[in-house]
Amino acid sequence: MKKTKQMKKILIVEDEKTLCLLYEEELAKEGYSVTTANDADTALEILKKKKFDLIITDIRMPGKNGIDLITKIMGLRKDIPIIINTAYQSYKSDFMTWAADAYVVKSSSLDELKSKIKEFIKK
Amino acid sequence: MLLSIISQSFFQSFSLEDNLLVILTALTSGSGVGFNRAMLFLAEGDKIRGEMWLGPRTREEAKYIWEVLSTPGIGYIEIIEHNRSLVDKNADTLSARIKSLSYSLHEEPLLLPALSASKKEIFIVRDAGNEPLVDKKFLETIGVNDFLCIPLYARDETMGEIVLDNAITNAPIEAKDIKLASICGLIAGNYIYATSLHAKMVEMEKLAALGEMAMFITHQLRNPLVTIGGFTDQLLNAQVEKEKQKRNLDIIKEEIRRLEKVVFELGHLLRVDLKKPVSIEVQPIIKSVLQSTDIKIKKKGREVRPRIEKNLPRILCEPTYLGEVLRNLLDNAFDATPPAGKIFVHVYRENKNWLVISVKDTGLGIPEHLKEKMFKPFFSTKEKGIGLGLLFVKRVMDAYGGKIEVESEEGKGAKFKLYFKCEEGG
Repeated sequence: MKKTKQMKKILIVEDEKTLCLLYEEELAKEGYSVTTANDADTALEILKKKKFDLIITDIRMPGKNGIDLITKIMGLRKDIPIIINTAYQSYKSDFMTWAADAYVVKSSSLDELKSKIKEFIKK
Repeated sequence: MLLSIISQSFFQSFSLEDNLLVILTALTSGSGVGFNRAMLFLAEGDKIRGEMWLGPRTREEAKYIWEVLSTPGIGYIEIIEHNRSLVDKNADTLSARIKSLSYSLHEEPLLLPALSASKKEIFIVRDAGNEPLVDKKFLETIGVNDFLCIPLYARDETMGEIVLDNAITNAPIEAKDIKLASICGLIAGNYIYATSLHAKMVEMEKLAALGEMAMFITHQLRNPLVTIGGFTDQLLNAQVEKEKQKRNLDIIKEEIRRLEKVVFELGHLLRVDLKKPVSIEVQPIIKSVLQSTDIKIKKKGREVRPRIEKNLPRILCEPTYLGEVLRNLLDNAFDATPPAGKIFVHVYRENKNWLVISVKDTGLGIPEHLKEKMFKPFFSTKEKGIGLGLLFVKRVMDAYGGKIEVESEEGKGAKFKLYFKCEEGG
């Protein structure tokens, strides 16, 4: 018997609103249901109420940064794949970023990000 | 006396060279240890190199110097000022004689003076002419048979060596002299070590600042580029409706403006302090900045309440920078103030020296933990802040001899006070 197909849910944590809009639209096109949060605290609030299949987070954000967020999510023991999406290559050397499942440097082409998402979410 | 001289000088912002001279002075002054001459070597890689040799060249000079230095009322600052001329390497001084001396700390045979620095042991030499451990060329230079070698080191690292003698008075080197000299040696060794650490730290801070800069540029350029690239890709898709086309183009335009602003502000920041201060009348500049920002501020529902006192003095600054500085503060105040909030600008003369421009907002104030960070480069609490505004303000104020005071209580807004130097007699 075939299961009913449900849209996979992605949470995007990114402080730049225009980037959020871009990701939202582009990932919706790929058939995902996207929720955005502009900072880590909002993301944690949302995570308490809703289940997600994947989280994409920026690192440098006002308030808690993405690494703090990852630490908190790990503390919640939610088994959700996390993709770091940042403008910086150099955070790779911070071992806390290794806790994420993938590290994608922001690029004007979203292909890499999209393919990583596909790796972790089997629709 | 000896230690008080040294400790007093270390609390002043003297250079390494000056502080070393203080130590040599303490070793040679009558009120200090009282040696006739003190020779300083500094470690440089695996060598020690002649750096400074303080003392009279001849008996006559000694008499003259000691007379000058024993004048009543002469303090250690005067003594050091005087001694500075004695260690000028480019004049006919003792220092000039040792500036080309250099000894390996490892190559055998290890002879004095290098032996002492290398082994980190004090050596007292008597009858140097018959002492096989003394380097012959060194003996020719120093020209005395009795001398004392004090190694300078810290944490097992050789920093240099001091060689002391009584060439003029021929007084014997006694146990108490050795004790005092070794204390000076310990202080000097640790001081040189601390200074070298500090130099390394400054270097590292510079590198860190450079790293910060690279991070900043990456962030400031990559985010807009991603946005521009992403929305352009959408436009290239033929099926985009008109409305969305316009929206994307607006976003792209805005991001390009942002890139321009980054480039502009970076260029600006790197350029401050190139222009000479000129005497300026502040009222017209302040009024024109207020006029140009007022429209934007009013449109967004905030209000500026300016109070410009009469008979303001002229100040020393650069007109464009003065305008930019005020614009920056107004921008921040605007961002911090909630809609319908007020921004107070007050321009007045604090006293004969300072003219103050204060900008007060009615926002949330600056949290304690951000007060230190806010003048740091690339620090911003705004979503698209570049983090160079306040740094620019600070650089301008520093470059023109002004100062900034920030008063802020969380929840009650912040007040930035800029102090500009008044033109003399202005």
